[in-house]
Amino acid sequence: MSEALVAAEAAGAGVEPVPGASGARQFWRRLRTQRAALVAAAVVALLVLVALAAPLLTALEGQDPTTYHPSLVDSARGGVPIGSFGGISGDHWLGVEPQTGRDLFARLAYGARVSLAVALAATTVQVLLGVVVGVAAALGNRWVDQLLSRAADIIVAMPLMIMALALLAIVPSSFPRPVLVALIIGFVAWGTIAKIVRAQTLTLKELDYVAAARLSGWSTWRIARRELLPGLAAPVITYAALMVPANIAIEAALSFLGVGVKPPTPSWGQMLTSANVWYQAAPQYLLLPAGALFVTVLALTVLGDGVRTALDPRAASRLRVGTGSKREAKAAAEKDVQSDVQSKVVQSKVVPSKVVQSKEVQSKEVQS
Amino acid sequence: MRQPSVRARRVAAASAGLVLAAGAAACGPKDNDAKGSGGDSTPHKGGTLTVLNADPTENFDPARLYTSGGGNVPSLVFRTLTTRNRENGAAGAKVVPDLATDTGRPNKDATVWTYTLKKGLKYEDGTAITSADIKYGIERSFAPELSGGAPYLRDWLVGAADYQGPYKDKKGLSAIETPDARTVVFHLDKPEGEFPYLATQTQFTPVPKAKDTGTKYAEHPVSSGPYRVVTNENNGEHIVLERNKYWSTATDAERKAYPDKVDVKSGLDSSVINQRLSASQGADAAAVTVDTNLGPAELAKVTGDKELSSRVGTGHFGQTDYIAFNPTVKPFDNVKVRQAISYAVDRSSVINAAGGSALAEAATTYLPNQKSFGYTPYDLFPAGRTGNAAKAKELLKEAGYPKGLTVTLTHSNAKNFETSPEIATAVQDALKQAGITVRLQGLEDNDYSDKIHNVKTEPGFFLTHWGADWPSGGPFLAPIFDGRQIVKDGANFNTGLLNDKSVNAEIDAINKLTDLDAAAKRWGALDKKIGEQALTVPLFHPVYKRLVGKDIRNVVISDWTGVLDISQVAVK
Repeated sequence: MSEALVAAEAAGAGVEPVPGASGARQFWRRLRTQRAALVAAAVVALLVLVALAAPLLTALEGQDPTTYHPSLVDSARGGVPIGSFGGISGDHWLGVEPQTGRDLFARLAYGARVSLAVALAATTVQVLLGVVVGVAAALGNRWVDQLLSRAADIIVAMPLMIMALALLAIVPSSFPRPVLVALIIGFVAWGTIAKIVRAQTLTLKELDYVAAARLSGWSTWRIARRELLPGLAAPVITYAALMVPANIAIEAALSFLGVGVKPPTPSWGQMLTSANVWYQAAPQYLLLPAGALFVTVLALTVLGDGVRTALDPRAASRLRVGTGSKREAKAAAEKDVQSDVQSKVVQSKVVPSKVVQSKEVQSKEVQS
Repeated sequence: MRQPSVRARRVAAASAGLVLAAGAAACGPKDNDAKGSGGDSTPHKGGTLTVLNADPTENFDPARLYTSGGGNVPSLVFRTLTTRNRENGAAGAKVVPDLATDTGRPNKDATVWTYTLKKGLKYEDGTAITSADIKYGIERSFAPELSGGAPYLRDWLVGAADYQGPYKDKKGLSAIETPDARTVVFHLDKPEGEFPYLATQTQFTPVPKAKDTGTKYAEHPVSSGPYRVVTNENNGEHIVLERNKYWSTATDAERKAYPDKVDVKSGLDSSVINQRLSASQGADAAAVTVDTNLGPAELAKVTGDKELSSRVGTGHFGQTDYIAFNPTVKPFDNVKVRQAISYAVDRSSVINAAGGSALAEAATTYLPNQKSFGYTPYDLFPAGRTGNAAKAKELLKEAGYPKGLTVTLTHSNAKNFETSPEIATAVQDALKQAGITVRLQGLEDNDYSDKIHNVKTEPGFFLTHWGADWPSGGPFLAPIFDGRQIVKDGANFNTGLLNDKSVNAEIDAINKLTDLDAAAKRWGALDKKIGEQALTVPLFHPVYKRLVGKDIRNVVISDWTGVLDISQVAVK
């Protein structure tokens, strides 16, 4: 995570504060040179497609995620699926769930909707809150800055899972659960992005074109909107891209702990909870959601890393797009991406150490 | 107050670290392996029996234990006036004499019960057990600092309602008389034909007044049974029992007491217990569990293995898992809605959710399916195996819900396969077929328990269960359906808020009977009559499947407890 932070800052510290049409083109060109990122993008696209088309796909299979099929499990043996590989058949492409006989493919596909939708919504909340608070802190007077920065510090320092568990426990059960989970993940993890945005805005504020805009009598609001926001795009996009997989992991963890979305709505984390005792008797029941979660988080992380590299002028110069040897560029990019991926995968499993992170932010600020 | 027995709670998570460390010392290599493998299955004396449990036996004081039939580990140390018959199946649901010469002699209307102690009864220090010690043991259980036992004694004994125990009130309870050293007489407020069942509880254990150490007594209670407490660490987490040389088979026909030593280790995770029993390595070969069932996934694994499946004991404890209605909450005030739900329930998917047909049996009666409870088969709203959605829809139409309705089902989030989300979702799916949309309200277990047992917060439609304090219809029907037991502020178990004069009168009439077989028949008939009101939807009776270590012999499982009786087990 802290590395993501450095990366996001680096991406923002570039000299191209206004990525116009040519900036976007350049971004794509840089992204295209990274094979790992492209593969990851394809996987993510496929997952999104499966999630969006879940009702269609399950209709094609002739199943739905909630109907019980008591006849497909062996009741005398604890409800283990009848048939090989967890009851895989033409009717049930990935077999059925032990005890209930619910279709696993349908539950996985619908589970993807929950995971992706909650993660994207949570990321949106984090970005919106982070940008608003960050920009307001940077542009406001000393008191506003102090207040908002300390608020961001507090949010960063709070243990995320405990906060989320506490909040989920007190909200009445009538509130729509997926929305609630997304909101809560969003609300407990906007601190870092706010700090990045604030630091970046402070840098941008001093640049000539912003000063020029101010001298022309533009209002603060207009300056923020027209001059600052475009300059913030690179670090914010980079950070957001890395937050999506982290949010998926958080949603799965909350569901695993029994406070995420409610049954019978399927979610991968929830499937993992009920599957963990079945690892010997019906291994595919545990492996499917675990594998889906692993692939999704990995693909999104690799993609996020590719986005970072493409937006980072320093990494871009290493890529030498359009200038040097293509092969050399690829090798450099892949090496870079792979080493990052490894560290990302480890990080996304462990709840990041917020303390270290906030310290790093502070030292960055001092340097800038 | 009256909770379903501790034994009924199957899964409990707890930390294992300390117990494992403490257990290491007791796990020496066994010297009888050569003898044990000869295909000889007759039980022999000697060896160490290890008990691997999830829940510690807390407050190991006869005044404070809440047991059914005297408990399993407690019964090795505490003898009682009567006890459960230590036999397999239905025969094990009978009450038999223990310290007393018979199961009690009632007066004509069963309000006075007289017991005579056997001759030659001794404590672990060789002193004689007297009737005064029985009286003192019961009086102690009234002391507020020694709380925990069942409420029956306070409810039943004359003038006991406000008694504060022998520490504050030196005069003692006048309801218990001890005319001589071997005779004890109980005077009750009202006729109670089932008093012999109550006399199996550990509160009927003799406690020598001179040795009473108050709240510290649990650390070293004075034994009247075949074993004495050598170690009791961390309030029951690790209990070591060794032979009591003053106990004799001459006065105890029930306990076999084959092992020389019993080592009880608790606080283990249920999956760890089952893993250790199936591996049966070292001391675990001579191990059993008295509180941990095989889960569905574990059962799937065990049934595929011949050697393991030969080591599974099956038991039936008197318990019913059911849906309860609160008829003061709409739309459950309408009997047709309650009947519609009764018809719509799919018991096969509910049973699968509870672990499958090996771990649960379909229930259509409120009383457990055992003779001692007076089980009278009936199925007033036949749902078949998978639910009768058509009949349910018809009833809903008559009730004024032609387009179906939406209701909220409250359940616990505890992972117990009884009132847990798995069961709730199975009910939800079945009711969907009948046009009933079920919203689930899962509550944290303590919150759930508080809500459903408080008349002010009781939800309209929820999952719950009831286990018997002893195998009879009385402690099953009276707390739940006796209108005079509705508690306005406090723990209320009459969740259907039934206050029917004829039901109350029948309960009183049956309590007068001292012929327990005749009483059982009337309880069965009363159950059917109450069933007509559709205040509950019985779902299933749980079945206990428990592994034992590979050296274990003489497994006896009664219908009273549903689990193997430690007093009968041999390790050689």
